[in-house]
Amino acid sequence: MDQATHRIQIENLSKAYGPVQVLKDINISVPEGRFVALIGPSGCGKSTLLRTIAGLEKITGGTLRIDGQIVNDMPPRKRDVAMVFQSYALYPHMNIEKNMSYSLRLKRSAPEAIRQSIAGVAETLGLGHLLERMPRQLSGGQRQRVAMGRAIVRNPKVFLFDEPLSNLDAALRVHMRAEIRKLHHRLHATSVYVTHDQIEAMTMADHVVVLRAGQVEQQGAPLALYEKPANKFVAGFIGSPAMNFIEGVVGPDAQCVLFGGAARQQVELGRALPPGQPVWIGLRPEHLRLQGEGQSVQGVVDSVESTGSMTFIALNVDGAPQPLLVAHPGTVTAAMGDVLKLYIAPQQIHVFDKTTELAL
Amino acid sequence: MNKLLSRFPRENGFEITLAGFALLYLLLFAGLPLLYNIVLSFQQVDLMEPATLLRPFAGLANYRDVFSRPEAGQVLSNTLQFVGLSLLFQVVIGFLLAMLFLQDFPLATFMRGLFLAGWIMPGLVVGVIWKLLFAGDYGVLNHVLTQMGILHSKIFWLSDPQWSLYAVIIANVWLGVPFNMLLLSVGLAAIPADLYEAAELDGANAWQRFWGITLPMMKSTLGAVVSLGAIMTMQQFDLLAALTQGGPANSSQVAQYWSWQLSLQTFEVSAGSAVATLMMVLVLIVAVIYVRSTRNERMV
Repeated sequence: MDQATHRIQIENLSKAYGPVQVLKDINISVPEGRFVALIGPSGCGKSTLLRTIAGLEKITGGTLRIDGQIVNDMPPRKRDVAMVFQSYALYPHMNIEKNMSYSLRLKRSAPEAIRQSIAGVAETLGLGHLLERMPRQLSGGQRQRVAMGRAIVRNPKVFLFDEPLSNLDAALRVHMRAEIRKLHHRLHATSVYVTHDQIEAMTMADHVVVLRAGQVEQQGAPLALYEKPANKFVAGFIGSPAMNFIEGVVGPDAQCVLFGGAARQQVELGRALPPGQPVWIGLRPEHLRLQGEGQSVQGVVDSVESTGSMTFIALNVDGAPQPLLVAHPGTVTAAMGDVLKLYIAPQQIHVFDKTTELAL
Repeated sequence: MNKLLSRFPRENGFEITLAGFALLYLLLFAGLPLLYNIVLSFQQVDLMEPATLLRPFAGLANYRDVFSRPEAGQVLSNTLQFVGLSLLFQVVIGFLLAMLFLQDFPLATFMRGLFLAGWIMPGLVVGVIWKLLFAGDYGVLNHVLTQMGILHSKIFWLSDPQWSLYAVIIANVWLGVPFNMLLLSVGLAAIPADLYEAAELDGANAWQRFWGITLPMMKSTLGAVVSLGAIMTMQQFDLLAALTQGGPANSSQVAQYWSWQLSLQTFEVSAGSAVATLMMVLVLIVAVIYVRSTRNERMV
C-alpha cells in the first residue's frame, strides 16, 4: 500500500484498560482529503478510537501512522491533529479571538499573520462580529463554530470530530451538518468524525466504519453499507427506520425461505441456499409496498402513524421478534386489525445466517 | 425591617426564630465586643473603674501612643513578614500538593487525607509539638539538619532573635498548608479535563498548559484562598502563645499578639484596643476582597 497518499493508517490497533479490551484488531486507512465517519452504538469504542488517533489515549497494540510516520508514542501536541470536542472545550477565560489563536500564539507565529488567518477563518464561519466576546456569551451553535474555527486556523494534517453536533437542537444540527460538509468540500481536509447518528454518518462521510464492542463490523462507502450489509448488526444499524427481521428456514427447493409458524408463508429469493438452513430475512421498511409484484408478506396491522408525506404501518407477522414496520409514501388508509399483504422485489430481500448472523 | 421579613418565603415565625438566635448570638458575642473595642480605642481607660461605659474621650491619642512606641516599627515589620511569608509559602506549597494529589497514583487520596491531620489539631497543640521540634539542645530539627550536614552548629530557633520570627512562620505555614491544599484541590478538580486536552492538541506543553489554562482558571479560587489565608494568619494567636509569646525582645512580636499583651498583660487597655482596631480594619479590607473574588467566581 502506498503510505504517502494515506494520511492515517491504522493497523491491527488494539487498546486495553487492564484486562478489559476496548478496541480489538482495528484496521482503517484514510486517504488524504477523505471524510471518514466512525459510527456505532454507545460504548462501542468509537470515541476511544478517535482519542487514540489524537494521542489522548495510548494504544496497547498495533501501529498508528500519520503521514507515513509511526506515532504510537508521540504526544498529542507533536501529531499536528486538531480536534473538535463534543463539549467544544473552549477556553472560558479567553475571548473568541484568543481561543482561535491560542495554537498560533504557542507556535510564536507573527502577530500580523495570526491576525490575518483569524480574520480569514472568522469570515468563513461568520464569526467576524464575535471575536471580542467571551465563550459564555455565545449560543451553542456559535460555540460550535468557534470550536471548528479553532481547528481550521491551525491548518492541521487531520481534523478529528467527537460528536460535535450532539449538543445542538435538531434544526441547527441539520444546518451545521450541511455546513461542515461544505467546509470539507472546500478545504479537502482529512477528517475523522465520530457520531452515533447514522444519518450524520451517511450524509457526511465518504467512508463509514461501523464499530461494535471494539471491533470493526464493516467499512465502506455509505451506500455500499446500506445495500450490502455484511451482517445482521450492520443491516439493522444502517438505515432509518431500521431493517425488519423475520426468523425462517430455507425451503426444500433451496430457492425460498419459509417462516410464520402455523400460518406458513414463504418468499422466493431468486438464488440458491442450502435447504433447511435456519436464517434471518431482512426487509427494509422503505422497500415494502402495498401494491405491486414480487414476493409478499402478510400480517395484521398493529398501528398506523401518518406524517402526511409518509405513513408508517406496523404489522404483526409470525416469526418477527418485533412488528414489521412499513414506510409508505403518501397517506394510506388502514386500520388496526386489518390484514395486509406487502410486496417486495426478491433482490431487495437480505438473508443472514441464523447463528453467525453473516450475510448469505 | 419589613423588607427583611418579606425575604422569608413563608412567614410562619419558625425561620425567623432560627435566624434570630444566630443573629442574637453574633450580636452579643461578636458585634458588641467589636464595638466596645472600637469605643475603648478612643477613650482614656482607667482600670480603677472597669465597669463604666462613659470615659474621657481621647481622640487619636491612643493611636499616636501606639505608633510612637519604640517597638512599633518592629511589630509592623514582623506582622508584614509574618502575614506575607506565611501566605506565600502556604499558597505555593498548598498549590503544589494539590496538583500532586490530583495525579492518579496509588494511595493519593489516602495521603491527601493524612495531610489534613495538621489542620484538625488545635493551634496550641501544634505549637507545643513544634516547640519540641525547634528545641535548641535536644530538638529534632537541629538533630536532622546537623546529621544531614546542612547545619554545623545548633540553631536556637525560639530563643535567637534572628530566627524566632521565622520559626513561628515555619510552624504557621505547616499549620496552614492543608487548608490551602484542600481549597485549591477543589478548584483544580473543577477545571474540565477537556480544556487540558484541547490545549495539548493545540500544542501546549505541560508548562504552557499550567500558565495558559490552570493559573487563569484558578484566579478566583486563588483570590479566595489568599484572602481567607490572610484573615486566618492575622488571627493566628495560639501558635504564638505556645511558641515564643512574641519574644525574645519582641523579635517575633506581631500585631495581634501585641494587642493582647498590651490589653491583658500590661493592662494598657487603650493602646491594646487601638492595635486591635487597626487589625480589624485590615481584616475588613481583606474580607471585602474575599467577598468580591467569590462573587466573581459565581459569575463565570
